[in-house]
Amino acid sequence: MTEIRWHSRAGQGAVSGAKGLGDVVATTGKEVQAFALYGSAKRGAALRAYNRIDDEQIFDHAKFMRPDYVLVIDPALALTDDITMNDKETTKYIITSHLSKDEVIASIPALQDKTDRVYVVDCVQISLDTIRRSMPNSPMLGAFCKISGMFELDYFLENMKRVLSKFPQKIIDANMEAITRAYNEVK
Amino acid sequence: MQDLKLKAAEKRGAHQLGGDNLVGWDEVTQGIVLTSFDGDATGVSHKKAEERNYSDFNSYTATVASWRVMKPVFNIDVCIDCQNCWVWCPDSSILSRDKQMLGIDYDHCKGCEVCVEVCPTNPKSLLMFSEYEDLGNALASWPEKKKKEKK
Amino acid sequence: MAVEFEVNEREVWDGNYAASQALRQADVDVVVAYPITPSTPIVENYGAYVGNGYIDGEFIMVESEHAAMSGCIGASAAGGRVSTATSSQGFALMVEVLYQASGMRLPIVLNVVNRALAAPLNVRGDHADMYLGRDSGWLQMSAFNAQEAYDLALCAFKIAENHSVRLPMMVHQDGFITSHTAQNVYPLSNEAAKKFVGVMNPVDDMLDFSRPVTYGAQTEEDWHFEHKAKQHKAIMDSASVIDSVFAEFKELTGREYNRVETYDMEDAEVCVIGLGSTVESARVAAKEMRKEGVKAGVVAMRVFRPFPYEEVREALKGCKSIAVTDRSSPGGAMGAFYNEVAAAMMTSQSRPLVTNYIYGLGGRDLSIENIKTIFREQQANADAGYITTDIQQFTNLRGPKLGFFKTERN
Repeated sequence: MTEIRWHSRAGQGAVSGAKGLGDVVATTGKEVQAFALYGSAKRGAALRAYNRIDDEQIFDHAKFMRPDYVLVIDPALALTDDITMNDKETTKYIITSHLSKDEVIASIPALQDKTDRVYVVDCVQISLDTIRRSMPNSPMLGAFCKISGMFELDYFLENMKRVLSKFPQKIIDANMEAITRAYNEVK
Repeated sequence: MQDLKLKAAEKRGAHQLGGDNLVGWDEVTQGIVLTSFDGDATGVSHKKAEERNYSDFNSYTATVASWRVMKPVFNIDVCIDCQNCWVWCPDSSILSRDKQMLGIDYDHCKGCEVCVEVCPTNPKSLLMFSEYEDLGNALASWPEKKKKEKK
Repeated sequence: MAVEFEVNEREVWDGNYAASQALRQADVDVVVAYPITPSTPIVENYGAYVGNGYIDGEFIMVESEHAAMSGCIGASAAGGRVSTATSSQGFALMVEVLYQASGMRLPIVLNVVNRALAAPLNVRGDHADMYLGRDSGWLQMSAFNAQEAYDLALCAFKIAENHSVRLPMMVHQDGFITSHTAQNVYPLSNEAAKKFVGVMNPVDDMLDFSRPVTYGAQTEEDWHFEHKAKQHKAIMDSASVIDSVFAEFKELTGREYNRVETYDMEDAEVCVIGLGSTVESARVAAKEMRKEGVKAGVVAMRVFRPFPYEEVREALKGCKSIAVTDRSSPGGAMGAFYNEVAAAMMTSQSRPLVTNYIYGLGGRDLSIENIKTIFREQQANADAGYITTDIQQFTNLRGPKLGFFKTERN
């Protein structure tokens, strides 16, 4: 089982991101779960979204998980939220920030002994450049694609086009560009 | 005028309300659903009451005549067919057809006196009499027109 | 004529979306709704299907849940296939009218996305609303995941509308845990679903002008008892129809449903019995306990009303110690579910040890580790031959341990 925890603010698209990821993973024949921990949260409130991926039907409905990947799509939450909670020795972190990887690690004490498992990409700037608004979920999917090696980029792009098919072509194209850029830029 | 043949044949006043045959749980209708008519009731609203095939569940087939102590008696000679009593009667017991007042439905009239109260004629065309008062005697004792009191 | 909505063989849907797709495929005629979190998307999506021409139905927004269920009653009595969805406070406001629907034997399908009842205000899942409806004369089924929320909604129409049943039915799913968790769902094709559910064949429909009927007549002491007895008998007898609809569904999809589900129970000595999404987590915990040498199993209530006493007894007959899990604040008694199971087991040959766990109120997480602790306590009971803990305990609660009532021992 692969488990993923998203740290995000309401409105940044973590829930849609988790569902979109689930949708694409399901096409590979795997079983998926995508859910979020939020309630009457307003835009800007911190929330967590979760994915589980497995070959068998997933029966675990607990929110508790020891994530394999932690995806942080809000730069400030990387500093204020407990992003290393319940982690494992192999947990990989993908953090969105305009800072360099060294600067990010230097500012988050909890990451000191995990430096080889931390990846940084500026999802906010990429989304501003491509989608024209701060929507860091799509770029994060591109970065995840690269770090996890779960899919080829082309396969992922093709399937995301299907997930986004209800949107205008312009928005789909912008999302494809965002995913591709993050895939190439994550370090 | 009270003996007009308006009763729906044998179905009318078939049973006393509340005096039903009390069947067991296995025989009551599903969901307390009650049918109004026996058989196909298509177009029933265009039929006269006496032509309708009312079911035993329809209140039309039950009588409350025994609830009455006083009864209204109708005097056709005074009536102006204004339909006021027909409008006000709470038990739909004023028999009227083509806006012609015909009489009282004594199976369903409870003797509440509302019809007498609302009757505008002088003297009134409806008056209360004892339940056992003979119709002929009642009509014979009808009061005269009241004269306006001079100031 | 409705526009065809395309569904794939494999979708990633959450429980709400899955339930709304079932309403679309079942060709529901009327949905009367006053949406409430977390069930909102079910009726919202139905409204969109109507608006976008995917279904020839009617979506009616009203001013309260009381009005919503009242509208459903009118539409159902008129002869339509009717459904709606609600949660929590909305369910509570609906309660008065729930009894009207079941008393009039109207086959309405209510999707209940379980949520806690305030105060304190809480939008997350527990079973307080479900328990509030348990004496309302409705049939109640529990879905443990999004797939089941879809499957059971389809089955519900077929069960409720069966002429020997003619009772309204609730399909329960856990708020957020099921309703907002997207997972793989394998829907039927539109055609197959439509064929399975079949055409609504109304009884005593008010729009049949050749046979006018009265609904909701007043009965006093002379008739009321007989009508309620007949209704209770119909609820009890619906079990065989539920079984046959489940059998038909299995033939069509390969997915098997039973009124009482059993997992790893063949040789189980200790078990957890529950309903809702917790069941699946408990299955994971039981598997892990077996690796520790504990003969653990899980029993799940698929159908809560009519309560399957005999099937529960059969499922639990080999067990030495049973943990009954209630996800509702018990309000001064044992959990309601505990009382049902205890009644079934009190009259069994084996008379196993039965304890009560209150858990997950207001959406509090129940982890695999929490459930394993419950299993370990059951094993301790089985080894000792008596209940070693309080009979009722609160699980995963902060503060001093909270429990009540002990076994009487010399």
